[in-house]
Amino acid sequence: MSGGVAGSRRAFLKRSAAVVATASAGACGRRGEGEGEGATAQVVLPGETLRAVGKAVLPGELGADGTERAVAAFERWAADLEPVAELRHSYLVPGVRYSGPDPRPGWAAQLQGLETECMKRHGTSLAEAEIGQRREMLAGRVQEARGDFGPPAEAGHVAVALMAHFYRSAVARDLCYRRAIGQEQCRGLAGAGDEPAALAGAAA
Amino acid sequence: MRRVAQTRVVESDVCIIGAGISAAMVAERLAERTQASIAVVEAGRRTAGLAERARTRDRMLAYGENPYPGDHVAGQIGTGAMYNSMAVGGAAMHWGGAVPRYSPEDFRVRSLYGVGFDWPIAFDDLEPYYQEAEERMGVAGEQGPPEYDPRSKPYPMPPLPLSYNLRRMREWTDAAGIPFWTQPWARNTEPYQGRNVCQRCDSCYVCPTGAKYTPDFAFDRLLADGRVDLVPQTLVRRLVLNADSDRIESAQAVRTDSPEETVEIRAGTFVIACGHAWSAHLLLNSAGGRFPTGLANRTGNVGRYMTGHWFASGFIELPMQLFPGIFVNNSLLSHRFASPGPLDRYLRHDLRLWESDVGRAPRLRGDDRRTLWGDEIVSDWRARTQAATARIRAYYDVIPDRESRLTLDPSRTNSLGDPMPRLGFRAAQATLDLERHTHDAIESRFRELARSGGGKVMRTQRSQLFEHPGGGCRMGDDPATSVVDRWSRAHDHENLFVVGAPTIVSSGCANGTLTFCALSLMAAEEIGRGLR
Repeated sequence: MSGGVAGSRRAFLKRSAAVVATASAGACGRRGEGEGEGATAQVVLPGETLRAVGKAVLPGELGADGTERAVAAFERWAADLEPVAELRHSYLVPGVRYSGPDPRPGWAAQLQGLETECMKRHGTSLAEAEIGQRREMLAGRVQEARGDFGPPAEAGHVAVALMAHFYRSAVARDLCYRRAIGQEQCRGLAGAGDEPAALAGAAA
Repeated sequence: MRRVAQTRVVESDVCIIGAGISAAMVAERLAERTQASIAVVEAGRRTAGLAERARTRDRMLAYGENPYPGDHVAGQIGTGAMYNSMAVGGAAMHWGGAVPRYSPEDFRVRSLYGVGFDWPIAFDDLEPYYQEAEERMGVAGEQGPPEYDPRSKPYPMPPLPLSYNLRRMREWTDAAGIPFWTQPWARNTEPYQGRNVCQRCDSCYVCPTGAKYTPDFAFDRLLADGRVDLVPQTLVRRLVLNADSDRIESAQAVRTDSPEETVEIRAGTFVIACGHAWSAHLLLNSAGGRFPTGLANRTGNVGRYMTGHWFASGFIELPMQLFPGIFVNNSLLSHRFASPGPLDRYLRHDLRLWESDVGRAPRLRGDDRRTLWGDEIVSDWRARTQAATARIRAYYDVIPDRESRLTLDPSRTNSLGDPMPRLGFRAAQATLDLERHTHDAIESRFRELARSGGGKVMRTQRSQLFEHPGGGCRMGDDPATSVVDRWSRAHDHENLFVVGAPTIVSSGCANGTLTFCALSLMAAEEIGRGLR
């Protein structure tokens, strides 16, 4: 752990202010004609706290760069999320379905809560807490989450949302299999029957 | 300012109501082979065109959003198994493109097995139209064993190639002695009709490349050639009889974006192509005068014999490593048991096989329910990928009951006060009597297949959702038990046709869309005769 408590407190207060900052609806990723109804102010997730969570819950095998990419991908995804969007139809189920309300204010509050708790419990920011301490604080919060990483927007806690977003990604699948599977990536028909290539540097 | 009600009049030789896949088949054939003027009237609007689909695909994958936003009409929804889509292209905008044919036995189950109903036509009567439908949409397929996959001409395109995973699975099924071949798909393996080749994007629900056939492509061509008048956002509420005969004189409609504007469509021939729910609904909602229980309903068969198939499915663990995630939308197919030969007791079903990651997906908690973090999740996931999962499903024939019905529901109306449809599917007693036998036999087949690969069935499940639904205006030679004849012409109205899904007698044990299209083309041939 680096940095003194006083320095950490200053940094914490600065981050806390950023947590509640909101941006205009224009940055919310809404697209196209007639899609402006129901726009909500976008809540910016505090990046440093989110990264501290990412380092605690994402696989270390990703390395620092990989973890940063995974967290940044989640941030982009969250920024473009549209609450109460028309969902894909269920097969032979009548009625149009819509996604739920905006989960981002809740996620921002959760991150802020983690910072506050960490400061009270350990006298430091989450980023400066030990990984084990971060996990200990998160454990109770993810207890009720479904075990199979459902849609990230439906995750009750931001840590689960971050994990769900990562583990449903092509990057995660490739990491697990150590193969260049590239799920949902468009490609030609050539080589369709080939075994996916091993990732460079991957252990067998 | 109060707006004055206006009525727009549309006149044509042929009025097709609905702009889904059956309508596209009829419109295209009539446009090519006759000089008739054709109006296609659709309640919904045009939805995401090809240029927009890469973006809507990304949104669907990231957020589960509908890639065809707004493809429905507010308030126009019933109760029971039905689609939401009401747009140019219809439910086939969303389809995966699976296009197996029914088996010859499907048309003769009463004669061959003493159950259900024979169709008024045989497989051979429909075969040329199957071929034509495959050519119109562009089907890529592999010829299966001819005794299980009869066809007079090759598929229009070579099959989609098998992925590594499906190749390995086919080695397993070959060793088990059950013939499987590649599912035929309405997806291009060669450039076709100006559309691209499949890029294996694995999001066939919305195809960003245009390799999957959707009916909007056909309408775009017809519109570009000036061969149809597409009238979107126009909801046909009822058909009106001629005062002196049983011919249909006009269709009464309203603009869905401007309900005070009414539209009257006058035509020599009317074609109802509104799918399994809205076709019978329109006829029932057109009741009045000489037809107090609905048009085409002298014998009370409109809305009856609604049909579909049920399935049993399972997940099989196999002692091999696969790499799920590439081209998961392709699958293997077998019609071996849809054409079973003589039977002691009725049992017919297809078999479909997919790769799966059931039991091999990442998870937050281990077997001991402890929360996993970081590298633990990957280790746990990796350990479970040393074996593979195959998903297997068997669609089986469900015999429709006369009381399997679509009715008008007065308790649920749209903004115009029209009652919405209520679909109450029901299987005939013969199917219920066979249910245990059917499931035992299919699950035993799953176990046998698993054992032959050194694997085991992880779990099975059953579904009684009437998939690929149809009926409600079934075809037959006898007006006492059917609504339309073998050419899909209403027994009661010489200038009225009902096409596609509503006309089927039974759903067999294969996806239905190709059969709906073939029946529509057969109807179009008869419609065209009257126009020459």
